[in-house]
Amino acid sequence: MSHFLDRLTYFKKYAGTFSNGYGEVTTESRAWEDAYRSRWAHDKIVRSTHGANCTGSCSWKIYVKGGIVTWETQQTDYPRTRPGLPNHEPRGCSRGASYSWYLYSANRIKYPMMRKRLVKLWRAAKAQYVDPVAAWKSIQDDPDKRREYQSARGLGGFVRVTWEEAEELVAAANVHTAKQHGPDRIIGFSPIPAMSMVSYAAGSRYLSLIGGVCMSFYDWYCDLPPSSPQTWGEQTDVPESADWYNAGFIMMWGSNVPQTRTPDAHFMAEARYRGTKVVTVTPDYSEASKFADLWLHPKQGTDAALALAMGHVILSEWHAKGRGDYFLDYCRRYSDMPMLVMLTEKDGRLVPDRQLRASDLVGNAGEANNPDWKTIAIDDATGNPYVPTGSIGFRWGEQGKWNLEGRDAKTLEAVTPRLSLQGGQTAAVTFPYFGDGATAFFNPTQLGDTVTHDVPVQWVRLADGSSAKVATVYDLFLANYGVARDGGTNYDAMAPYTPAWAEAVCGVPRQQIVTVAREFADNAEKTKGKSMVILGAALNHWYHSDMNYRGIINLLVMCGCIGQSGGGWAHYVGQEKLRPQSGWIPVAFATDWARPPRQQNSTSFWYAHTDQWRYETVQVKDILSPTAPKQLTGTLIDFNIRAERMGWLPSAPQLARNPLTIAAEAEAAGVPVPQYVAQSLKAGTLEMSCEDPDHPTNWPRNLFVWRSNLLGSSGKGHEYFLKHLLGTQHGVQGKDLGEQGAAKPEEAAWHDEAPKGKLDLLVTLDFRMSTTCMYSDIVLPTATWYEKHDLNTSDMHPFIHPLSAAVDPAWESRTDWAIFRGIAKRFSALCNGHLGKEKDTVLTPLMHDSPAELGQTHHVREWKKGEVEPIPGKTMPAVTVVERDYPNTHARFTSLGPLMDKLGNNGKGMAWKTGHEVEFLRHLNGEVEVPGVEGKLAKMESDIDACETLMHLAPETNGHVAVKAWEALGTFTGRDHTHLALPKEHEAIRFRDVQAQPRKIISSPIWSGLESEEVCYNAGYTNVHELIPWRTLTGRQQLYQDHPWMLAFGEALCLYRPPVDLRATGPMHGVKPNGNKEIALNFITPHQKWGIHSVYTDNLLMLTLSRGGPIVWLSEVDAADAGIEDNDWIEAFNTNGALCARAVVSQRVPKGMVMMYHAQEKIVNVPGSEITHARGGIHNSVTRCTIKPTHMIGGYAQLAYGFNYYGTIGTNRDEFVLVRKMANVEWLDGPRVTPQAADLKAAE
Amino acid sequence: MNTRLAILSTLLRYPDEVLRADLPDVLSSIATAGFADRDRRALERLARRLAAGDPLDRQEDFVRLFDRGRATSLHLFEHVHGDTRNRGPAMVELVAIYDANGFAMTGHELPDYLPLVLEFCAVAPAETAANLLSQAGPLLQQIHAKLLSRGLPSSRGYAAVLAAVLSEVRLAPTTLPTDAQDQADEDDLAAIDAAYEDQPVVFGPESDPDQQGARAKVAAMIQRLRSVRQAAARH
Repeated sequence: MSHFLDRLTYFKKYAGTFSNGYGEVTTESRAWEDAYRSRWAHDKIVRSTHGANCTGSCSWKIYVKGGIVTWETQQTDYPRTRPGLPNHEPRGCSRGASYSWYLYSANRIKYPMMRKRLVKLWRAAKAQYVDPVAAWKSIQDDPDKRREYQSARGLGGFVRVTWEEAEELVAAANVHTAKQHGPDRIIGFSPIPAMSMVSYAAGSRYLSLIGGVCMSFYDWYCDLPPSSPQTWGEQTDVPESADWYNAGFIMMWGSNVPQTRTPDAHFMAEARYRGTKVVTVTPDYSEASKFADLWLHPKQGTDAALALAMGHVILSEWHAKGRGDYFLDYCRRYSDMPMLVMLTEKDGRLVPDRQLRASDLVGNAGEANNPDWKTIAIDDATGNPYVPTGSIGFRWGEQGKWNLEGRDAKTLEAVTPRLSLQGGQTAAVTFPYFGDGATAFFNPTQLGDTVTHDVPVQWVRLADGSSAKVATVYDLFLANYGVARDGGTNYDAMAPYTPAWAEAVCGVPRQQIVTVAREFADNAEKTKGKSMVILGAALNHWYHSDMNYRGIINLLVMCGCIGQSGGGWAHYVGQEKLRPQSGWIPVAFATDWARPPRQQNSTSFWYAHTDQWRYETVQVKDILSPTAPKQLTGTLIDFNIRAERMGWLPSAPQLARNPLTIAAEAEAAGVPVPQYVAQSLKAGTLEMSCEDPDHPTNWPRNLFVWRSNLLGSSGKGHEYFLKHLLGTQHGVQGKDLGEQGAAKPEEAAWHDEAPKGKLDLLVTLDFRMSTTCMYSDIVLPTATWYEKHDLNTSDMHPFIHPLSAAVDPAWESRTDWAIFRGIAKRFSALCNGHLGKEKDTVLTPLMHDSPAELGQTHHVREWKKGEVEPIPGKTMPAVTVVERDYPNTHARFTSLGPLMDKLGNNGKGMAWKTGHEVEFLRHLNGEVEVPGVEGKLAKMESDIDACETLMHLAPETNGHVAVKAWEALGTFTGRDHTHLALPKEHEAIRFRDVQAQPRKIISSPIWSGLESEEVCYNAGYTNVHELIPWRTLTGRQQLYQDHPWMLAFGEALCLYRPPVDLRATGPMHGVKPNGNKEIALNFITPHQKWGIHSVYTDNLLMLTLSRGGPIVWLSEVDAADAGIEDNDWIEAFNTNGALCARAVVSQRVPKGMVMMYHAQEKIVNVPGSEITHARGGIHNSVTRCTIKPTHMIGGYAQLAYGFNYYGTIGTNRDEFVLVRKMANVEWLDGPRVTPQAADLKAAE
Repeated sequence: MNTRLAILSTLLRYPDEVLRADLPDVLSSIATAGFADRDRRALERLARRLAAGDPLDRQEDFVRLFDRGRATSLHLFEHVHGDTRNRGPAMVELVAIYDANGFAMTGHELPDYLPLVLEFCAVAPAETAANLLSQAGPLLQQIHAKLLSRGLPSSRGYAAVLAAVLSEVRLAPTTLPTDAQDQADEDDLAAIDAAYEDQPVVFGPESDPDQQGARAKVAAMIQRLRSVRQAAARH
């Protein structure tokens, strides 16, 4: 018998118990579980992310029930990576997970708000004037009325107003300003477009249509490393975080990955499981250090010393010994090291001058096109100079030779350039040395202000018949590092830049330096470049950040790491890559309607218009090179003014006259406008606004701030903003140059009485009551990141991600797109009788990635001083007349203009046609007619229309466009690059696609990395592997900076420059005593764990996890010295102002430093200051920005202006503060007391 | 309908022109709605205050107390769930109660907004209303106490509304304003009334507005306000 009847085939019986009795089967009712089921039930899940300043671009599931957002969880459906590479999940962090509360928080801005005093004035004026523009004018024409609401800024007193009333006032102010002062007095600030690009574009499109000015953020935030454009001609390009996994050796240098790149940090952990060695460089014991196999802690601000000493070791042990064929081959092909540099006599010493050009040689070395812009190398086979292809002269005016194929431009034969001229003559060459100039705190040396090294040289015959002594960049580079070419290197010598020297300067033991350098290079040699440095804000926020960065870039180039997967330069601060950039620009800057837009570099603008220049303490002689020509004089703002006049940097406002009036004047004079402007400037009948920033003619009048906390987290020199730009209560303690009797600027007009309250109107759009909102005249409630449709891309991963409206905007809030569309509509209506079709004269600097970048060769000549004729677009800004159609601003805002069809689109110097795409968008978005335009245009009414438009126009999201863009690049390089996009030619990503799943973008020539199934995104990859030149003078990685101002400030080559002395504590010592000891400490503002990025520091959850208010970290030693205990209230102050916070006393912090986390709100738990008697400030209350002349250079290849690409940067880490324990903690709950009265009382 | 709750809901509305137009009716219905004496006097004082002076001043008071910050927020869940993820589900449950009673929310307020809750309670079955308000009792006490501690006539005025809501469910506020404070508020109100009272029309040389009228009127107004405030502060 088989017992088949006893055996069950399709069932088994429940057993009473299982798992050894730990489990039991019962038949009780399970209805109670339904409570949980309904608790977690929801109507829908919507994909969104966190928009304004987080680089994470993490996918989140937003749960909605009954029209209410109930919670969010991390989404886990990213497209898979390839085999062998970990997946992207999980992404998202504690900040993102506590975001949903913002929707319903008490801090939410629910209604349009206006300050009561302004409402009163406005309504009274409206009662008197039918025309709102006339009403606004009547307020502005009355200084008392203006002061009345300006002086109440930041002091509360808001009431709700209707959208109609708010829109009307804003539009009236804009119309009045454009008509009375000029549209370039209407300014807009919004940062980091990548994180919600349509919301950014809403405001910038409106401003660009009316001729307003869009302000840069990247340079102002000091997240732009100017070393990147200097070296690569690229703003910043970096590897995606997944590529960390491919590295063999990682240095995390001043970048706190687990804290500020939380969703990416898992790749760091995974890389370590793979066996990657990690060295962390950070002065404090930061969170990143837990990843470290070795933690190096140099004194803050001295990182360049460490980098230079590492370079000294690598150059000595590899390059000087001829070891490492890979390194030498890489340097020959991909860097400017083989290029020749002229050596000239200065004060009896031989110093490196500029790079030799074809134009210096007989017959222009056979180069008729741009011989000034073609550099020279020596043919290793023949020993003769030749012109290698690929330098910037080949980029413009001819085709097919702008590549890195390494050919002789004349014969087109492949040639090996000679790296070193060793073996022949040598000459003693003098290099500047700045290490002796450090303040006592930063370990000054006593080695003299120059060093002299023997450098191999050769003679070259010049066109004028003379001969010039030349050296290769390579030989100068090694000499500058102090490397002995005969192998007799002595690491223990006290000379720049040996390990022993670095130990004395930065404090890292020399043996550690030698070990790390060896391991870094050894790995790079064995893996062909898989050594990586992740670096960040901690290095970049110093006045001489270029040296920190270039020191590291040099290491990576000398070891062949740039452009290699798993290697390279990974700078992660704030740029947050806007991947579909060239499709976005027409939407964002309205280049579909008018070109060019007005764009301004913020740092120079705020420096001038918040009058921080009036208090400048850094003198040009402090930072000039001992080898500089003597004629460079003036103050820092003078250099900026010169740069603006020569067309190097942009200006805003531009001319000391309304630009809407100039075309008519030119017409009356019978001269073309550009010529008229040039003539008038030369004759002095017209001035540029930059020359007199304090004159009312040149004040910025209207300011929009959106997606930003400009005055809170980003306002370096916060108190100067309050005093001069806003004209309200402030905490500035120092005296200006006039009050001090110090030397005045040479170029900037000086007014003894500084303006207070330049701005007529400050409008802020936000969803929370930020510090900036508190100081605004009008606050408009915006949609949060779960209430709008938008797009989001990051440099950390290759996906394009949506923000989606999970619910409608709460209360009366609206999306940024809807708000600016509404203002545009009201503006158009109010133009009647004031503005019609107008001719606007627009000034543009000599732009990077355009032929104008070859504007000014190796001489600095000023038309203002009669050294050269003013020629628009060449020796001064370009002048263009743009036709505005003011009454049709709204119609233009909501449609895709005809220039896309007519002129096509472009990006980074490449141009292509867009007819097909525009046609498609007409079908997709619908058609609309606009007065004055023939035919029908594609609609762009909604935010989704805008998303579709920008994605369809961009190569990164439309394969057809990608192929066209690669084709366009091919005409420059003479190479076929289309194979990079052809497999994805028919892919076009649409908004609903990215809502369904984040989509990987398509490889495009706008960026230097590839998105493919074979390789992770890494910067410089296509330069190295597709032989596309870097967009620099030599077309190679430019390690030698030969502009005259670079030479003057001693920065041709990377060297060590100690932090500058800002002299802000001396005048305050003991001036307002409270009985407690005051100690001077270096003020550092790193990013924190409990705010910023996806949420702000008013988030209650994050405040609860931290200390619930402003905190400053101190070392135990300093705390003991000043009698401060943990959690004491302390005050930090200097001439710039004061701030109050609690002390966190920690072993983490080294002596001599205080850390205050960036972006803590002034509105949360801040008591009154004993110094200013106002509420105790914000981290930027003690800072003041100081600009650097080398960042102003323009019209010179890679050193040419681009928006958010090059320009002065808002450094703030060289600052010192006095720290002392507070005697009285006052909460200022009573009626307001003036600072003077409070000072008197304190004195009693 | 519970008229008292409807009145209380109305008094907590943003003091715009619409509310101002309703205030005379509100004032007369307060008298007859059956409030306890003390509540009635305080509510009348609030209604008169809202009707007096420059509407923008009353709006500024409202924004300062209720549109900014959490301490005296009128969103009830701000005080229980704060900024946590429990807040969303709690609001969903509240909407379910409104739905179950046949009321759909209009406009763009959140379901836990006190004026909205009070309006619902005014029209909901008494038992439902009492349940809801009793549950909210401790929160109402807390908001009431915080309003009082702000120490402003306007905050004491609004505190009276909370006190009256508490009376509805037989709960007492944890603290009460002193008689002196009540008197000061009364004086303050009188001062505002007086300041905004139209001067009698005068003819002849006295009527020159620049000489005698406007300036003198403003000066007198300021003087009166000061003296009353000083008197109040001395209490």
